[in-house]
Amino acid sequence: MIELRHITKRFGGVPALEDVSLEVRPGERLALIGENGAGKSSLMNVLYGLYQPDAGEVCFDGQAVKVKTPAEALARGVGMVHQHFTLVPTLTVTENVVLGREPTSWGRLDRARAEKEVAATCTRFGFQLDVSAVVQELSVGSQQKVEIVKALHRGVKTLILDEPTAVLTPQEADELFAVTRHLSDEGLAVVLISHKLREVLSFSTRIAVMRRGKKVAETTPAETSPEQLAGLMVGTEVPSPRERGEGQGEGPPLATLEKLTAKGLHEISLSIREGEILGIAGVDGNGQRELAEVLTGLREWSGGTFTYSGNTLRSWNPRTAREQGVAHIPEDRLRRAIISDLSVEENVSLGRQTRAPFAKGPLIDFDKRRACTTALLEANDVRPRDPKIRAGGLSGGNQQKLVVGRELDAAPKLLVVVQPTRGLDIAAVAAVREQLRDQRTRGCAVLLVSLDLDEVMELSDRIVVLCGGRVSGEFGRAEFDERLIGRCMLGVGSAPHPDPLPASQGEGDLSA
Amino acid sequence: MRKALPSILSVISAILICFIAAGLTRDFGTAVDAFMAMWWGAFGDWPKFLETGASTTLLRPLGEAATKAAILTFTGLSVTVAFRVGLFNIGAQGQLVVGALAAAVVGAKVELPALLHLPLCLLAAAAAGALYALGPAILKLKRGVHEVISTIMLNWVAVSLVDNWLVTGPLRATTSGDNSASGTDQIHASAELPRLLGDLSRLNFGIVLALIAAVLTWVFLTRFTRGFEWKAIGLSQDAARASGIDVERGFIEAMLLSGAFAGLGGAVLILGTELKYPASLGAPWGFDGIAMSLIGQGHPLGVLAISTLFGGLRAGGTRMQLFGVHKSFPELIQGLALLLVAARMLWDKLIDRLSPRKPA
Repeated sequence: MIELRHITKRFGGVPALEDVSLEVRPGERLALIGENGAGKSSLMNVLYGLYQPDAGEVCFDGQAVKVKTPAEALARGVGMVHQHFTLVPTLTVTENVVLGREPTSWGRLDRARAEKEVAATCTRFGFQLDVSAVVQELSVGSQQKVEIVKALHRGVKTLILDEPTAVLTPQEADELFAVTRHLSDEGLAVVLISHKLREVLSFSTRIAVMRRGKKVAETTPAETSPEQLAGLMVGTEVPSPRERGEGQGEGPPLATLEKLTAKGLHEISLSIREGEILGIAGVDGNGQRELAEVLTGLREWSGGTFTYSGNTLRSWNPRTAREQGVAHIPEDRLRRAIISDLSVEENVSLGRQTRAPFAKGPLIDFDKRRACTTALLEANDVRPRDPKIRAGGLSGGNQQKLVVGRELDAAPKLLVVVQPTRGLDIAAVAAVREQLRDQRTRGCAVLLVSLDLDEVMELSDRIVVLCGGRVSGEFGRAEFDERLIGRCMLGVGSAPHPDPLPASQGEGDLSA
Repeated sequence: MRKALPSILSVISAILICFIAAGLTRDFGTAVDAFMAMWWGAFGDWPKFLETGASTTLLRPLGEAATKAAILTFTGLSVTVAFRVGLFNIGAQGQLVVGALAAAVVGAKVELPALLHLPLCLLAAAAAGALYALGPAILKLKRGVHEVISTIMLNWVAVSLVDNWLVTGPLRATTSGDNSASGTDQIHASAELPRLLGDLSRLNFGIVLALIAAVLTWVFLTRFTRGFEWKAIGLSQDAARASGIDVERGFIEAMLLSGAFAGLGGAVLILGTELKYPASLGAPWGFDGIAMSLIGQGHPLGVLAISTLFGGLRAGGTRMQLFGVHKSFPELIQGLALLLVAARMLWDKLIDRLSPRKPA
């Protein structure tokens, strides 16, 4: 059994953890929940030897131990799988798993033995993995399994998963939970860091809630409800989502694609009207990303036409798109939206860096940039409210708030949003959804891509389903039906088309 | 200031280590003499000046130091601006060679009043360097050729073409009455960089040009939106592109400027001290630019400061020979300093430990 006793950790005077005590027992599935910045990851980083606590101690079986490095944590049977994987993409599964403690013969990697050992670990814990596959060719879900196997192979007794489902499809998430259940049956302790209440309630045997660096509650799924947990995490009652409200009605089409073909897209025809949210549903990797890239000027098309604001476009790139009022909230914010090594205010100016209020002729307008950033941080509740710090120092949720705030600040005509709430906590999710609705009310055309069908259905006025890079269905608000949309996502029959498909299959892919 | 600390500590440590090495291989008395001689040779022989009152004891060393500092500053800036957009221009040497040749040819073959001739020579050198750097940039954009490979290779192309063929062949000095002449024709007086102190010292206008270039680069990179866009490109091409920044244009612009700076370094060498394209350029100025940029931490004014220091030490290094210490110590110091800057994690930890703790 592991005990964290009265742990306190400060960063530059700001307490990240204050007098937190927590037990981790063998064979349990403990969920650690809380908003972004509540201290969940910090607490686990203390246990994993990444942070040294300023006060308090970590006890293994009643003995206080100073865990100074992850290597020491591993030696004591604690393994952690981070959101960002630490695999070498060009090596095989086996090579990645044994990396650092390779079985050798005569100084060379004993590949046969290594593969046998890794395969044995996989079998023992119920993982289905091709141990000789090259990691970069695996899906994200399988890569995550490799990370877990890597920890298990080192004989860990306690496995910490940091927001494991943030990168997974619903099906992969289900699989992950099935596997981790198996692990706890084997006597391992599994700690899940999350803020998705639904998965927490279905997965865990015990729940610890954190808020602002303190543990505020400990409970079990049977004793609590999503509403209660949400309240504990946020500290106040969570406002129930406002009625969806009708779209401002059918404005004129702002962007129209006709038989548009590009890499990953085949003869897409759709139009986005002013004052509506057009939801794009689909299983991951069916052309959603490509569609968003075409609209924002990041991808060229080879056939068909793209009409924007009444003009048939010939050339379209991110700059012209931005000049014409297109804003983009991309899926991968660290790759496309935020530059970690720039300051917050520099990031705020990105995209409008050559225009007022961020530029004065060819020069940067430092004063207005500062003023603008300060206002934006305030309006979007980005913490800390410091325009000068590195953007990479913000937590994921605050980075996303920054991106959303920046893109909406430009008062766009077309807003392309991909997975806007991924990795956000409840309060932030509610805020982002509210902002998207406000944009629609303002008359903005919003294209929303999300893998979360619930989200698409809740927000959209109209849904277009993509499958294999083609439009496989279109639904008006009145026709929204999870089952029918799900069938279009899988490419079996177009809607509405009552086809006797086994219900279980359809449901399995829809439980987002 | 905190950012400059690792560089400063690295340079000081490098000097100390070299001093100890010199002391151990000879004896410490000699080492002190030799290093003091280097110092006086770099930044003016003050003791002698106070003793004799002869201003040349100060001005002559300063002139040599400034000449070398100017060239190093230009090649250092060359590497720095390319690095801003994330490109590693290892080709400053080649760009400097073609720039130097352009300056030498225009300086010798064209006859114009000084007011036009000198600027034309500088322009020719900058253009030659820029064009020579354009190739790798285009190859990278059109064919995905890594700029490190192409610029390195083009260095040897430039050296072979210029040093081994043009300068010893078609462009070899034709001036009659100077049979022993190697290198190209002497440039006209109208193309020479004016000496600031007449015959007292070789101190010339080159260091002023370098100073102006460093300050303008600094202003451009930190105050102009285009400079900001370069920085964004250098840190994340994907994010820059998605923000509407023309990444390809940034690459081309930065490489052109980078090549132009290297070319100007060559021009300062030819028009300031050599007065013709010589049989040998003396030092791998272009490669030294990489060290200047890295030790200067990519800051134009840092590059200027570091170049001034090492330009000085090199000028003074020759004086070490008077004490039987080899004149390559300045290069040794430079190499060590570079190594120590590269190991900057060492410094960061040390500085963290020594800096006063913020109240928790």
